[in-house]
Amino acid sequence: MADGAPEGQGPDLKKLHRLIKLMHRYGLTAMDLGEGPDKIRLRRGPIASAMAPPPAAEYVHAAAPQAAAPAAAAKPAAETESQYIRSPMVGTFYTSSSPDAPAFVSVGSNIRKESTVCIIEAMKVFTEIPAGISGTIAEVMVKNGQAVEFGQPLFRLS
Amino acid sequence: MFQRILIANRGEIALRVIRACRELGITSVVVFSEADRGASYLEEADRAICIGAGPSAESYLNIPRIIAAAEVADVQAIHPGYGFLSENPEFAEICRSCGFEFIGPSHEAIRRMGLKTEAKIVANKAKVPCVPGSDGPVDSETEAQALASKIGFPVLIKAAAGGGGKGMRVVRDADGFLAAYRTARAEAEAAFRNPSVYLERYLDNPRHIEVQLLADQHGHVVHCWERDCTVQRRHQKLVEESPSPVVPEAVRTKICESAVRLAKAVNYYNAGTCEFLYDPATQEFFFIEVNARIQVEHPVTELVTGLDLIKWQIRIAAGEKLTLKQSEIKRHGHAIECRINCEDPGANFRPSPGTVNRMVVPGGPGVRWDSHVVAGYRVPTNYDSMVGKLLVHADTREEAIRRMSRALREIKLDGIATTIPFHRLLMQDEQFRSGEYDTTWLEREFMPRNRDRLGS
Repeated sequence: MADGAPEGQGPDLKKLHRLIKLMHRYGLTAMDLGEGPDKIRLRRGPIASAMAPPPAAEYVHAAAPQAAAPAAAAKPAAETESQYIRSPMVGTFYTSSSPDAPAFVSVGSNIRKESTVCIIEAMKVFTEIPAGISGTIAEVMVKNGQAVEFGQPLFRLS
Repeated sequence: MFQRILIANRGEIALRVIRACRELGITSVVVFSEADRGASYLEEADRAICIGAGPSAESYLNIPRIIAAAEVADVQAIHPGYGFLSENPEFAEICRSCGFEFIGPSHEAIRRMGLKTEAKIVANKAKVPCVPGSDGPVDSETEAQALASKIGFPVLIKAAAGGGGKGMRVVRDADGFLAAYRTARAEAEAAFRNPSVYLERYLDNPRHIEVQLLADQHGHVVHCWERDCTVQRRHQKLVEESPSPVVPEAVRTKICESAVRLAKAVNYYNAGTCEFLYDPATQEFFFIEVNARIQVEHPVTELVTGLDLIKWQIRIAAGEKLTLKQSEIKRHGHAIECRINCEDPGANFRPSPGTVNRMVVPGGPGVRWDSHVVAGYRVPTNYDSMVGKLLVHADTREEAIRRMSRALREIKLDGIATTIPFHRLLMQDEQFRSGEYDTTWLEREFMPRNRDRLGS
């Protein structure tokens, strides 16, 4: 679903390329840039929500000049450098086995393939989710009690 | 009425249900697999939840994942669409026991209608004629001969233990019966190590006539007239229309009324279709089966009756009364549907998935396009090959055929091979236009006759 810019009215491709590299470098998922008569919106997936659109660039002409104001989205999600533990099922994510128990893992935890990293509950059945890969947790990407879908990134490893 | 509905299906039928929800003010939640990620129809739903990888077993056929999605989305009902789990009685039962209404019939009705033997029992109880035949294998020659006369010629002798044409014989009269019976048994013994055969009336030129039913949970059942689905290839429907061009009005009423009787006999509710074989020579009709779900070709009925069947499904599931009186359900004009598949008609209808690089949707009066496909859409290889349904509605069959020809000229689906060229030829065909053909006509006559023109 990548509709590029309309033909013949190019955005500065070099500039776009630089922006995209910047997004990768700093793990940004969204950037809105308004400059002159043109606006640029860049979105980078996967985004931790139920609907995950693929990366798309929109090029929009605005009538009045806009102040140049790059904005970044809150959830950093670096793609190529990091590895992810993704949800193997649909359900509700829990960081620990019970409300009083400590979390299975947190940022900095070293995990092995068999380590339980979280619980996902569906239909009153609590399933312990194994890491599947070894490494160190760099980020917990979802909140305790949040609904997660299949393939949704739960943890980022460094 | 439900606030939120989960749509446990994909593609054009998912979009159809999303549209009905939108118009009813119901929040729609659609599931999708990794193979459907990014499809534009998902954006029409209020929420989309990824439930698994592409293979159906991990997604659209995966009951725990679908129920889990229903749970996290906190819906009140689940619409199964057609195919996939729509006629799975366990799924219907699980939905309801988990507190989600299943938008369809009771699981008991699904189970009963899904068993051919059970369905026949119900049909007999409702005095709905079935294909005359033996009720099991016939092992004695005298018994077989007597039964054959009772059934009425031509009679089909069929091997009980297998298919593929082995142990199968069509007998035209009583004189040839015994020889055919013995040969069939010998063949069955050789092929399946079981000489058992059973008997059935053989229909030479059957037509496929099906009746659309709607019933509420308060015992009110109506029919929405019939569809003629005789144009088939390998038992797959390619073209459907309503009304049937060959069924006389009196017979039409009888067929439709018998479908209603059958539905009542099994306390059926929600939408369903009762399928019959019709013999134009004798004007006899025979019950084959009930499809306890909404069908692909439901828009044909929607066009001639003006009813929105999906909305009625939702209302019925929510417990509302079916406020339609049989006398109020009128037919107007003629509707035809052409199923557009990504198959190459010149290469034996080989599936030809790919990416649609150009899409022009036909429009104008009396044209309806039900599809999830847009320009840039990549057809996933995990599912069926149907990319859309092109429908027309007009005052007469002749006009409808002309309109369909027009729409088939306008429609553009470039980047993949489709059956559009096939449908174009069909609409020009004199025999199709005459309305006189049977379920094997397409493969027997039309395809060989048009082999060169279809070659790509």
